[in-house]
Amino acid sequence: MAKLLSVASLSWSVDKQVIIKNISFDVNSGDIIGIIGPNGAGKTTLLKCLLNHYKNWQGTIKLKNKALSQYKPNELAQTFALVVQNSPPIFDLKVYDVVRMGLLPYKTLFARDSDTDKKNIISALEKVGLANSQAKFFNTLSGGEQQRVLIAKALVQKAKVLVLDEPTNHLDIYYQHQILQLVKALNITVIMTIHDLNLAAHYCNRLLLLDKGQLVSDNSVDKVLKPELLTKVFGLPCYRDDAQHCGVPRVYFYPASQTASNIPLANKPDNSANHEGELS
Amino acid sequence: MNANLGNILRSVSAIKSKNSWVFSGLIIFTFLSIIMSITFGPANITGDDILQCVMYECMSPIHDMVIWQIRIPRVLVGLVAGMGLACAGAILQNVTRNPLADPYLFGIISGAGLGATIATFAFNDQQSLALPLAAFLGALFSVVIVFGIATLLRNMNHLLLTGVAVSFMLGSISHFILYLGDPFATNRVIFWLMGSLARVEMFHFYLIGAIVLITLLTIFALHRQIDALLLGDESAASLGVNIDKLRLILLALCAAVTATIVAYCGGIGFVGLMIPHIVRQLVGVTTMPLIIGSALVGGCFLVWVDVAARSAFSNVEIPIGIITSAIGSIFFLAIMYRTRKTG
Repeated sequence: MAKLLSVASLSWSVDKQVIIKNISFDVNSGDIIGIIGPNGAGKTTLLKCLLNHYKNWQGTIKLKNKALSQYKPNELAQTFALVVQNSPPIFDLKVYDVVRMGLLPYKTLFARDSDTDKKNIISALEKVGLANSQAKFFNTLSGGEQQRVLIAKALVQKAKVLVLDEPTNHLDIYYQHQILQLVKALNITVIMTIHDLNLAAHYCNRLLLLDKGQLVSDNSVDKVLKPELLTKVFGLPCYRDDAQHCGVPRVYFYPASQTASNIPLANKPDNSANHEGELS
Repeated sequence: MNANLGNILRSVSAIKSKNSWVFSGLIIFTFLSIIMSITFGPANITGDDILQCVMYECMSPIHDMVIWQIRIPRVLVGLVAGMGLACAGAILQNVTRNPLADPYLFGIISGAGLGATIATFAFNDQQSLALPLAAFLGALFSVVIVFGIATLLRNMNHLLLTGVAVSFMLGSISHFILYLGDPFATNRVIFWLMGSLARVEMFHFYLIGAIVLITLLTIFALHRQIDALLLGDESAASLGVNIDKLRLILLALCAAVTATIVAYCGGIGFVGLMIPHIVRQLVGVTTMPLIIGSALVGGCFLVWVDVAARSAFSNVEIPIGIITSAIGSIFFLAIMYRTRKTG
């Protein structure tokens, strides 16, 4: 797989407080990378540095062997599409209008939409299953539908890398899987921050585990989701179940106050560590 | 699948064609408003007289003077001032992501008021030149202060609140000067602050028209960037928009347009708050239809409010700002009530 993005000794600090330090990793095209870690570990900051929204980072980020700083903003926008919904739109934006924003990086000043543009917008909405909602107001859609509209916008943007910040937040279990299935089916490179480790295990082929601004582990799902490592980072006892029926490991956490002896699963972690050798 | 796509594309063009009907209607109404509004006023002038004057030659020198030197400049200045205020309001609401934003809430009117106050007392003999110029500089001064403080606070959401604070500050300085000053000059400033199109000339139409045109062209050029702001700064930045630069350009333009209008027409409040809200209901929220619609509706609105101002009472003219503020303040409350219900 071709190397798309390479990050070397990336650090970022604000008001003399170091948020992320010395992070290095590569992204190959086709990767689906999940950035995991506790709150405040620097997950979102890392995304913002990659998108060049935070300018004063130290280190090097290279996109296709060329430094990020050498790209123009619209060239970066043709490469990275951000799917994030922090602030709801104040006015009644239509679904069509939101997806149409994806044309921006390709348009010169004054340019109007061509017929091809309109077809691309509709076909992007078809891909996310919302073609019939194009005249609806974005604000009236459910959280899952809004995420899908934003993904359609990213498709119109023809991005090579889809960047998602907590795409499954506030979604019920059905929509969590629906969104991530959709993302996976697009067959493009994906970098996302995600809190739910089991969802990450299902859909990512690689995980970056951050803790206190540092990259603790960068590896396959199997190698990152180690109970010892997760206990250290999240501060909670952890049990791993290599559930055969879903094909990926699952991890469970339980309250730190409970002592190992009064939890039925308490001695399991050791067992699973033993099983691991057998499985592989 | 293909039939489906065809259906969907048809419904997209249905939305577009609905808008083009609205715009055609608005353009026709604007032209009718210009012609019809010329017939209103103390002197009795009919539609035939105007047609005669425009196409051939006026029936009498009085008609000639009233139509060409009083009515037409007044209607045209009303038109471009309404356009400029409505567009500035629409842009400010999108840029600050605040549906209650209005150029006058950014301290522009009190800045202009302070400028006018100083000019009235300092340059007694050069009033016709000094007052608009000082008002313009005062308006720009207040915008620079408001923007500077908001930048210092690193929070553009506080732009509006900063504007309110700066308004009170500059207002109190003006009031202090007016309180100590000569009552005659005080009267002049207060009447000027109420807003009026009674003293405008053709030159003002060219000046305000030119700056409104520049604003419209800039907005047309940047319409996609302005649209992108509707989903928030982060989303806009990821589409390649330089948010700080865009915001600065747009705020500077709004300030220049509003300051020019205030300098010649005085305080005409709430047009920029009201009109964009009405237009969004008619043609949607994206920049191109919003701006074209705001320009047309805003222009017509001010033309007709000015008709009301000059013909409501036979012997006295009502300052136009009193009417717009009266309508606008009720509208302001209505918007808040509506957002409370939906949000």
